[in-house]
Amino acid sequence: MKLIDSIKKDFNTMTLVLIPVAIAINVVIGQIVVLLRLPVYLDSIGTVLVAVLCGPWAGALTGTLSNIIWGLIIDPNAFPWFPVALFIGFVAGWCAIGGLFKSWWKVVITGILIAFTAAIVSTPIAVYLYGGITASGSSFITAFLLQSGRDLVSAVLSTNFLVEPVDKIATALVAFAIIQGLSTRYISRFPRSENAAQEKGKRSTQLIIAIAVAVVLVVIAATVLVTMLG
Amino acid sequence: MRNRLSFYIPRQSLIHDLNPLTKLALVFTFIIVAFSSSWYWLPTILFFFGLVPLSFIGKVGKAFLRTTFRLLLPLFIFLFVMQSLFYPGGVTPLLSLWIFSVKLEGVQFAYLTGTRILVMVSSFLVLLLTTHPSTLMSDLTRRGLPGALAYIITSTLQIIPQMQGKANTIIDAQRSRGLDTEGNLFKRAGALLPLVGPLVFGSLVDVEERAIAIEARAFNAPCKKTSLIEISDTGFETALRWFFLLLMLAAIGSRIWLS
Amino acid sequence: MAILTINNLTYQYPSSPQPALKDISLTLESGEFLAVIGANGAGKSSLCYTAAGFIPHFFRGELNGQVLIDGVDSSQSNLNELVLHAGLVFQNPFNQISGSKFTVYEEIAFGLENLGIAREEMKARIDEALALTNIADLGKRSPYALSGGQQQRVALASILVMQPKLLVLDEPTSQLDPIGTQEVFQVIRAMTKRGMTILMAEHKIEQVAEFADRVIALDAGEILLEGTPGEVLTSPLLPERGVGISRYTQVARRAQAMGLWSKQTHLPATLAQAVRGFGGADAAQEVNDAA
Repeated sequence: MKLIDSIKKDFNTMTLVLIPVAIAINVVIGQIVVLLRLPVYLDSIGTVLVAVLCGPWAGALTGTLSNIIWGLIIDPNAFPWFPVALFIGFVAGWCAIGGLFKSWWKVVITGILIAFTAAIVSTPIAVYLYGGITASGSSFITAFLLQSGRDLVSAVLSTNFLVEPVDKIATALVAFAIIQGLSTRYISRFPRSENAAQEKGKRSTQLIIAIAVAVVLVVIAATVLVTMLG
Repeated sequence: MRNRLSFYIPRQSLIHDLNPLTKLALVFTFIIVAFSSSWYWLPTILFFFGLVPLSFIGKVGKAFLRTTFRLLLPLFIFLFVMQSLFYPGGVTPLLSLWIFSVKLEGVQFAYLTGTRILVMVSSFLVLLLTTHPSTLMSDLTRRGLPGALAYIITSTLQIIPQMQGKANTIIDAQRSRGLDTEGNLFKRAGALLPLVGPLVFGSLVDVEERAIAIEARAFNAPCKKTSLIEISDTGFETALRWFFLLLMLAAIGSRIWLS
Repeated sequence: MAILTINNLTYQYPSSPQPALKDISLTLESGEFLAVIGANGAGKSSLCYTAAGFIPHFFRGELNGQVLIDGVDSSQSNLNELVLHAGLVFQNPFNQISGSKFTVYEEIAFGLENLGIAREEMKARIDEALALTNIADLGKRSPYALSGGQQQRVALASILVMQPKLLVLDEPTSQLDPIGTQEVFQVIRAMTKRGMTILMAEHKIEQVAEFADRVIALDAGEILLEGTPGEVLTSPLLPERGVGISRYTQVARRAQAMGLWSKQTHLPATLAQAVRGFGGADAAQEVNDAA
């Protein structure tokens, strides 16, 4: 049973204790961001953290439980969005296993992959449950696209493709910065500590590559979007 | 930021005494019926003639109405404004103002979506207001929910208010050192790291000791766990849950069959 | 009967360049109270983790030598088995709360639930532990809404309900205020009266002098001194290696320099010994006998 082994690998006692802290990080940073009135959510930093250190299954669980607990204590509206959080954790975990969490520019790619996943998964939820309009600011973009004659699904999907990358790249970068600040001794207690081993190389070079990669990917995404909208 | 463990209000009531799983089954029945029925007024009826009376039987009626209102008002305003103006299938204008016109279909759609969300959110509230999280988790663990999962959920419920408290302390401390949390976008973005850094690293460092502490208390012991809390469950409630299950299946079945 | 036997133990943490413990050998008999003193980083915590099985099981790393906990070879066993024999209480009371329980009573039940103990026995054991640690009135409170001293006694009770043969205490009062410290030491005193076997790392020398049957001083991972409290705690080697000494020893040493404490009289480690020492030759003889 390879699947069960893969799932089991993610969970040791450190994982089980880290997940509640990670969920609390999601919730509290999410609230600080609201307090600072920043145009991002940053409410999955903890999820990405667990996904990298413990693996995709633990990441998926963290995301799912984040939404359930957000629903339990803050706002039950969060419940139906749990698949989005689940996939954010899952994809971040596989990106990390694939070595995409070892330097700044690779983390940007992880951020973009998470963003695309989130965009795709959240579209049907927004469409079928909320009729495309949710209580977030980005719904103005959806409304604008609807007004200019797009159908509902493509309007919601394009909105998500426009909004998600900035947030998820920032999320991945903050998670990366946190991991850089932890000691190797501490990280070594987690089941997939090898995911966080940083590649050698000058930081400034990496930063330039990171920016270049981000620009290229955003341009590609924009092109895809424009073609998609015809 | 409000620091709160859960919505739970301790009272003596019929609803409080129900087995948590029965209440959970009730919640899902309400939600599934509300979302799968094609009858326009059903979610409204479920709310006013199902959930509101239940909340009053549970002696949490006031808190129920207040919380529902607080949680859903912003969403409803948004939903009605946006959908009545921009609903794609809108053809019948009710009133027009400049380039905007409110469409009947949009209003109807917003009402249906709104009442369904109302049922979803408020049925969970009935459960949460009358059930202590610890009781819910003990009962589910007894029925086979992995102990690790119950541990994660209950300990998250306790960590969040602690961390919110810490966050407030850090925000106050950094502000008194002159950190700008009110300025332009860049200043506010720059304020994020000094706030988040101490919070995150402080709580991550604790993880190792907490892992040691629960291991020292046989957390990973391979035997079947027992529970200190005794939770009542009756044959009547078991029958009730089967009934709810049938209702859910019927609702989903009718939805598939009719469409 | 030996509850803890350590033979030629050398241990190195996974990402550390040198060993944390070097060639340690010791035996702890049933009912004995062994105190471990030493400067920060001398290996006190590592020794505690070893005695409770967390080294090598939780911390991994490289362990040479043999550790027998209540007759069980630590390397051959696992943590789930070892925690039944040795219970660990450490510095930070806050981090020892399981986090998944909403009242003190349930918190103490956590370990028993994990062990699958029946409800009736659970309640009996919890009541006993609550009484022993003097927190019976806190049962319904949230474990987070307590003082440090109360939390640390909850941690102690949570371990005691599991009825380990060996109690390992790693500086249990180092993060507590004076009142909390007193409360916790009262419980420890009650435990010694019950004949509990205890290994305690502690930097408060006065407390060590009061409780310990035997003392080990660690320095850079090695045993520097071993003996009775009277022998070890008054040794001039301790201040040299950065280990604190009892304020009574300090005062007596000053007094000795000024000719107020006889050169023949053993230096005191506790208040009682100091009083008797300053009380005259007869009393001093008693102190020597006692030491």
